[in-house]
Amino acid sequence: MKLAASPPNNVSASLEFLLQEIPGLRTKWAGPRRLRVDLPAETLPALLELLKGRAGYVHLSAISCVDWPTQNEFELVYHLWSYELNVLVMAHIRIPRDPGVYLSVYDLYHPAAFFERDIHEMFGLYFEGSPDMGKFILTEWDGPPPMRKEFDSEAWVMNQFEWQDYRPDWLAEIEAKGGGITTRPQDIRKDGKP
Amino acid sequence: MSTLQSIPVVATKAEKPSGGTGNLLANVFDELTAFCRSRSLFMLHYCTGCGAIELPPAMTSRFDMERLGIQPMVTPRQADILLVTGYVSTKTLKRIILTYEQMNSPKYVIGICSCTVNGGMYWQSYATAKVLADYMPVDMYIAGCMPRPEAVISGLRELMANIRAGRSDNWRDYYRRYDHYLGNQQRLFGENWQTPTDVIGEARHYGQFGPETLGEHTALLERHQTPLLPFEMRLGLGGEKTGVENKGDKR
Ligand code: SF4
Repeated sequence: MKLAASPPNNVSASLEFLLQEIPGLRTKWAGPRRLRVDLPAETLPALLELLKGRAGYVHLSAISCVDWPTQNEFELVYHLWSYELNVLVMAHIRIPRDPGVYLSVYDLYHPAAFFERDIHEMFGLYFEGSPDMGKFILTEWDGPPPMRKEFDSEAWVMNQFEWQDYRPDWLAEIEAKGGGITTRPQDIRKDGKP
Repeated sequence: MSTLQSIPVVATKAEKPSGGTGNLLANVFDELTAFCRSRSLFMLHYCTGCGAIELPPAMTSRFDMERLGIQPMVTPRQADILLVTGYVSTKTLKRIILTYEQMNSPKYVIGICSCTVNGGMYWQSYATAKVLADYMPVDMYIAGCMPRPEAVISGLRELMANIRAGRSDNWRDYYRRYDHYLGNQQRLFGENWQTPTDVIGEARHYGQFGPETLGEHTALLERHQTPLLPFEMRLGLGGEKTGVENKGDKR
């Protein structure tokens, strides 16, 4: 099936009409088939239920998280897709960074368990009612949640790891045979610094 | 490798602790072993990173490693070369060490890609180990991001020449300096890190026990080590509970 570039007018209009039921919600078309929705955090479950029950939004394709350290907030984006309307809805909410707790939507969308567990691991955000908040991908990690903006990966790495010499003696042997580092950084960089 | 002295004699002498009677035929036999060894390499490619993408052309008809006597192998127990192709995350490193320790000696490790040398472009990543040689002895690095099949093959040929000349015996280093490698592993994985392989026992068995095999890190290992027990075999007879349960039953 080939989709038209933008949804028929009645689809976008009825979707916007439906969304008006949620108080404090703002919509913005980010593209012909991409609808951005900003809403207060406490109304998100109502929105999801509305979309799932009455507009065929059965697919939660991702939850993404953005850290806003200066505003002391986390932004959560729920990406939802309807196979009937063929319009992507991106629901943005903001929650305070401290204590960083939000509700799980696992009861509405089971795949949320994975996204929430992932966000918990990477940002330290806790989802109440999510079936498992244990370690997920970073099973060997016991440092701070690494995707938070204040986590300084470079400093952590410098502290944790050691490096080997880039020009060890045996390299001369290889260079004598015509191998080794053929293009040095200073050959490429304009300022000629190594 | 142009003079006779630089070929195998020195290294092969070290290989046999009991020898030293000046029997010339013994060296001939060792030389033959080294030749055969270098000509029949089974390679376990642990495809950790993007560098693995250059291996299929190197292995298949385009560049055809098999004409050099190098073949892919599916299990660590039957492989000679461990090919680590790319960045090594901390999580993967554990598995690589387990794999490496299961391989039979003599074994060779090749680090393909710049990422195995010094972290490559993942140098500031919190989740990747930087220097592969800190955790196991590496025989050959093939640097590049990613190295082309020609480079892979020339690296492998170099390794073959090294094996032939008896110069590539870094696997002994793992036994002789086990404390050093274990220390680096513990630093990354925590002090209760333990593998199911008894490396110290193997070092004794192979006659590779050295002054640096034991040290403070192996002492730490002994303190945290849970004894390795043989895997218990259970046969589910007469309606006894077996290890395997039907998942549907649980609810
Ligand atoms: S050196 Fe380059 S190609 Fe190889 S694993 Fe690293 S990033 Fe990937």
